[in-house]
Amino acid sequence: MSKPKVGIFGLTSCAGDQLVILNCEDQLMELANAVDIRDWEMAKSQNDEECPLDIALVEGSVAQVRDIETVKKIRERSKILVALGTCAVWGGIPAMKNDVPREVMLEEVYGNDVRFIESKAAQPLSSFVKVDFNLPGCPIEKEEFLQMMASFLHGDIPEILNFSVCSECKMKENVCQIVYKNQVCCGPLTRAGCGARCPSHNVPCTGCHGPIEEVHYDSHIKMFQLKGIKPEEIVHKMQVYAAPAWMPEKLMEEMQHEGE
Amino acid sequence: MKVSKLPKANVNKFLESLQDFGEVIIPKEKQEQPGVYMFDTMTDPSEVAWEYLRTIIPPKKYLTKPKEVIFKFDSQRGFEEVIEDAEQKRVLFGLHPCDIHGIKILDVVFTHQYTDPYYTRRRNNTVIIGLSCIPDEKCFCKSMHTDYTEDGFDLALSDIGDGYLVAIGTSLGDDLVAERADLFTEVEETDRRKYLDFRKKRNQSFKLDLDIDDLPYILDLEQHSPIWDELGKRCLTCGSCSMVCPTCYCFNVYDELNLDARSGRRIKQWDACLFKDYALVAGGHNFREDRAERVKNRYYHKQFRMVEQYGKPSCVGCGRCINACPAGIDVVEVLTKVREGSYAETESS
Amino acid sequence: MLRLNHHEHKSYTLSENPYKPELARIISVDPMVEDNYLFRFRFEDAQLNQRFQYRPGQFMELSVIGVGESPISISSTPSRPGVIEMCIRRAGRVTNALYRLKPNDLIGLRGPFGNGFPMKKMNGNSLLIVAGGLGMVPLRSALLYALDNRQDYQRIILMYGTRYPDYLLFRSELEALALRSDVECRLIVEKSALSKDTPEWHGRTGLVTDLFDDLQDLDVQKSYALVVGPPIFYRFVLSKCLDLGFSKDRILMSLERRMECGIGKCGHCEIGNKKVCTDGPVFTYWDVMNLPEMI
Repeated sequence: MSKPKVGIFGLTSCAGDQLVILNCEDQLMELANAVDIRDWEMAKSQNDEECPLDIALVEGSVAQVRDIETVKKIRERSKILVALGTCAVWGGIPAMKNDVPREVMLEEVYGNDVRFIESKAAQPLSSFVKVDFNLPGCPIEKEEFLQMMASFLHGDIPEILNFSVCSECKMKENVCQIVYKNQVCCGPLTRAGCGARCPSHNVPCTGCHGPIEEVHYDSHIKMFQLKGIKPEEIVHKMQVYAAPAWMPEKLMEEMQHEGE
Repeated sequence: MKVSKLPKANVNKFLESLQDFGEVIIPKEKQEQPGVYMFDTMTDPSEVAWEYLRTIIPPKKYLTKPKEVIFKFDSQRGFEEVIEDAEQKRVLFGLHPCDIHGIKILDVVFTHQYTDPYYTRRRNNTVIIGLSCIPDEKCFCKSMHTDYTEDGFDLALSDIGDGYLVAIGTSLGDDLVAERADLFTEVEETDRRKYLDFRKKRNQSFKLDLDIDDLPYILDLEQHSPIWDELGKRCLTCGSCSMVCPTCYCFNVYDELNLDARSGRRIKQWDACLFKDYALVAGGHNFREDRAERVKNRYYHKQFRMVEQYGKPSCVGCGRCINACPAGIDVVEVLTKVREGSYAETESS
Repeated sequence: MLRLNHHEHKSYTLSENPYKPELARIISVDPMVEDNYLFRFRFEDAQLNQRFQYRPGQFMELSVIGVGESPISISSTPSRPGVIEMCIRRAGRVTNALYRLKPNDLIGLRGPFGNGFPMKKMNGNSLLIVAGGLGMVPLRSALLYALDNRQDYQRIILMYGTRYPDYLLFRSELEALALRSDVECRLIVEKSALSKDTPEWHGRTGLVTDLFDDLQDLDVQKSYALVVGPPIFYRFVLSKCLDLGFSKDRILMSLERRMECGIGKCGHCEIGNKKVCTDGPVFTYWDVMNLPEMI
């Protein structure tokens, strides 16, 4: 069987997910042997930018106008398209302030006569192209990435954990940030896979993997309200990584509902 | 039951001597949060948190691991058994009666009809030493009839002031005592009296009460109680209660593949019936799609199904789930409400 | 040093590992109907293959190595040893991967698990086998077993219905049975053709419940009904059985759940107060009635 042709791409992003791939030091040679990496601007000098691909790994959100064309082109040449990382899956940090007009933000950051970036409200890949598999994480988890690649190499659609960070956090026997510290912890809403990294360092979960499939807004609002935490605080916290997925409409709706 | 006495002055020496048998696991206080405890390997006897009440995770983690490799596989050579820690001898020290009852229930589940070699291999290498406790406002072991135990331990220590009354539960326990006979003394009449006083004091310390006598019947009648829907709306389905439960044994099995796409590991990992995919079958049908149904199932499993299957409920009243639930769901409150609802209906009709 | 290393203080038997799959080889793969292939397997270990025993209605855990396990009913009969036959629907991750495998490829099998149909207990009785759609998969084992031990049973009646003729599992085998005089084999389809391309259907059209009208002189006191099919099928077939006068204890059903470990440990298939994997998958209708969320 010939090696699958792979392309690795970054849209608007910090390149952190691509860096995770490069950081798979112990497995990198094996990975390079198992697949034929044809197009990877970040790590290779000679790239075939036109060839058909079996697997395209795409990092970043669609936050510049040119990203739309880029991701559509990648889709056209790829059999399997993977959204790599929370930006690609949910919009990520760039989508945090989608409600603020881009012009206002550009001016704030770069001053008023800079026009080199055609910025737009950040959106996940799935808003523009069909995505075959989502691997969230900010950045992605090395182990999850390798498992995903192994599944593809075996010819399967990979599986991803479908429960929240809480269970991993309990398995680590961490002190619960909600129960003991009265913190806004995104753990119960957030997809596991990180091994409860932040709570293991005594920091509440920031929700960087984005929401689990089944998010219970009602019970979460009720829970935090009972603890005297203001809805704005919850919204603020949960908007950081996966704003388009769950915020703020859905949550606000629930809050109003609760207030009635 | 044969008893002996271990003066408090000798207790550290005894703990040290247990290290000759194997790894000694003790309750320790978490550094980052006073008043929160976990079972961990003893490096020095001074680390024992004698006054602990409940650890975050019960001692089941040493018998059925949160995540373990059960096989190595290769697509041509098949499956090769891996039992992590199979030969590791361990002393679980300081288990309260509720946790000992928890292990007794796991013993039944993992040996009934089929023997789970992962559990039993480790169980066979485990010594259990119990420790008495005074309940807090979340303990309801007395209601669950798990506040004392006559078996399930090798040794059980009860605090009688200047020392511990040591109940010897097994031949191995007897040998552990005989091995360090120099540390133990005869039990005097005053010690017995102190022990009885301790029991009296302990019995009176329970603040939480749950009437379980006819609970399975009530639950059977209350399958459609609105309480389950209410509960469904409060539950986050985060699975914390299952992870911390001494008798939750559910697990999931999956394969982790290497990049060669032919070899890898088969993994067994704790699972929870509250998770969305728990009763999902291939083809996409979910037999317990509804959140309220899943929450209800957890209660019915503990208090109803286990009674029918094994003769007793699988809740030991340790209070861990009450403690761990971020949403503040309290099992005693829920079951009391169900009972009240049930009786209220009977009275009004 | 403590002399405790030699201690045998616990009595938990160290038995063979019930989680361990044994290597088996795919002998053949035959498409039966769309997304339902018949796989034949043989254990690599010849001795194991020889001594392997099971009961009709039992299931096995099939491993596609590197992908995972899935519970699969056995469709062959223990009265014809040497080869294990399973009619497998392409439904999930494991079966999708299995469909990519070819004859001579290796898989893992462990089992058999579950209670199976009480073939011995039913000796001397008539068997009314009612299958809907894929329900034929476990029932074929019971049917073949009964035919191979023909003298042990009174009448053997098969009533099998599917939506289209193309969906009939084991069709040629069952059509051959229809010619035999010692078995009453009745097939029925809801619609005679799936498309214009399919060959014409000359048999009966209608619902499997229609076949009950032809059923004559069945002594329900001396019969068992073996009923397996989709949920909607149960709703109508069970009431037909009750109308005939069947006791609820004599109506047997096989249930599908997520039987992950097969040995009553993992919890996934528990419903009501039963574990489908060890208490079932075969239950009486009375059991099922008493279990919430059973069908």
